[in-house]
Amino acid sequence: MRKRALGWLGDAALILYFVFALFPIAWMVILSLKPADQLFSTYFSFSPTLDGYRTVLGDSEGIPFVRFFVNSLVVSVGAVALSLVVGLPAAYASARWRFKGSENLMFTLLSFRFAPELTVIIPLFVLYQKLGLFDTYVGMVWVLQLVTLPLIVWIMRSYFADLTPELEQAALLDGYTRKQAFFKVALPLVKPGIAAVSLLAFIFAWNNFVFPLILTSNEAQTVTVGALSFLGGDRPKYNLTAAAALVSVVPPLLLALTIQRYLVRGLSFGAVKS
Amino acid sequence: MIRLSGIRKAYGKTLALDELELEVREGEFFCLLGPSGAGKTTTLKTVAGLERPDSGTVLLGGEDMRGVEPYDRGVAMCFESYALYPHRSAYDNLASPLRSPRHRLPAAEARQRIGAIAELLGISGLLDRPVGQLSNGQRQRVALGRVLVRPARAFLLDEPLSHLDAKLRQQMRAELKAIGAVQRTTTLYVTHDSVEALALGDRIGVIREGRIVQTGTREEIWYRPHDTEVARAFGRPRINLLPGVVAEGGVRSDGGVELPVRTRAAAGTDVLVGIRPRDLALGGEGHELTGTVYITEVLGRSVEVTVRLGTGQRRVSLVAPRADAARLRPDDPVRLVVRPENLLLFEADRPERPGRRIETQP
Repeated sequence: MRKRALGWLGDAALILYFVFALFPIAWMVILSLKPADQLFSTYFSFSPTLDGYRTVLGDSEGIPFVRFFVNSLVVSVGAVALSLVVGLPAAYASARWRFKGSENLMFTLLSFRFAPELTVIIPLFVLYQKLGLFDTYVGMVWVLQLVTLPLIVWIMRSYFADLTPELEQAALLDGYTRKQAFFKVALPLVKPGIAAVSLLAFIFAWNNFVFPLILTSNEAQTVTVGALSFLGGDRPKYNLTAAAALVSVVPPLLLALTIQRYLVRGLSFGAVKS
Repeated sequence: MIRLSGIRKAYGKTLALDELELEVREGEFFCLLGPSGAGKTTTLKTVAGLERPDSGTVLLGGEDMRGVEPYDRGVAMCFESYALYPHRSAYDNLASPLRSPRHRLPAAEARQRIGAIAELLGISGLLDRPVGQLSNGQRQRVALGRVLVRPARAFLLDEPLSHLDAKLRQQMRAELKAIGAVQRTTTLYVTHDSVEALALGDRIGVIREGRIVQTGTREEIWYRPHDTEVARAFGRPRINLLPGVVAEGGVRSDGGVELPVRTRAAAGTDVLVGIRPRDLALGGEGHELTGTVYITEVLGRSVEVTVRLGTGQRRVSLVAPRADAARLRPDDPVRLVVRPENLLLFEADRPERPGRRIETQP
């Protein structure tokens, strides 16, 4: 009897938390479905319409939201790809060899994540203006390395450290070079880790706000900043901002769902020894 | 030929190899025997080029291997951890060396070689399985196969039979030396099992704390062990080591036991007399000892008898045919016989080192 009551209580608490957690999202969905003239009049009774989405995706209001969306994709995928190319060998090297300053190097990399982005943004802005990187894909991919590279290097390092070096040693004795041992033996074994960490890095890059806010104006602007453009002008169009925000959630969500299987395996891999 | 000279290797403050000297002759099957932590695996990895020694030289076929990468040394190694590629099938693991740039064979030829090796090791039926689904014994055979599948200047085998069950181990031990590739190829075989070393090794090296204590044929190791530790390492039941004092005409031990060992050592020296359990008999020719039965234990067709010697508390064990020992009961008086030439003499063990063997005189 008591057990059952406790069960109900637990369920009730969970439902309460669920409502608490999902309410902002529900609110956004409602907001995005409201017609422009009923934005402030009612809370829950209104005639739902997809006009908001049509406007956002239809490139009207003078705000090229679709381009922002594509920019976000290009910049985030580009940042993750570059970080993988640079970060996987770095993670492997730091897991396998200790060299002079290796720990300091790794710590420096991690320290990029300590400082708020705002501390470096002003000098970066000036540098980007001078170097012609302002409002370009290259500039955005580059600056996002501050976000994605430390993550990928540190997580992949622990994956490589968990692999016994004897596997690569066996490959060396089978007649493979060190490079081949890395590509043919070590890399395939950390695939789940690569999937998991790539997704995380992608989400962080996608959600980044400060860098595109200061370092882009139009050509390379991303959704996080772009969605706010609907708030400008004489009347803030909250319904359009809500629709834009919801559209911009789709790619990370889809990605997470498709590689969910890898994700669970990937994120629990380092913790449990087989 | 493998030759290591003056090899030192330290991990932090721990000295793994301490001026190690080792020579394995061309085509020889050499067993390196030692307890865990003695430096056996480090020795193998040093030969393979996976560990770089702090000092000393490694020669393979007379060539100095300094700065030569593992893949250019032409040696094949079987790891104690198997080190199989877990994401590939048994077949792909065996094929790995044959697909590498240095040992590449055409696919058809490779398939044939792998088939032959798999047949030899009794793993033909397992080739399609991912190695994750194999038992430890099966994995170990795949790991051994990956070594044997290609020609090598030397085979380095790190406890390749340790995870097989007893029956299979005995069978594989017999077969291993019959394999043509093994007969032709210089083999350095690491084990902690003295029975394996005696059965397999053309010569045996005993390693302890990063040094080779003794190298020799099985007869040399058996009859002329370097010290009490080496004597203890070989033979089950273990050698009996009776403490005694050098006296006129022999060694006097506790309980009025006299042993006819002649030596140049000064009278009064503390010594240990070694008697192998199989060199003690319940009757026949030789020097006589008396005692009382302490306990008997049947080992199949023979019996291990533990005897309290003389009037003291010192015990020795011996192995006797079941027929002779069947009627013995605890506290029965017995007469033991040992041939004087089978007695070994050692210095007494000291805390810093085991007692060395002392030459006896006929």
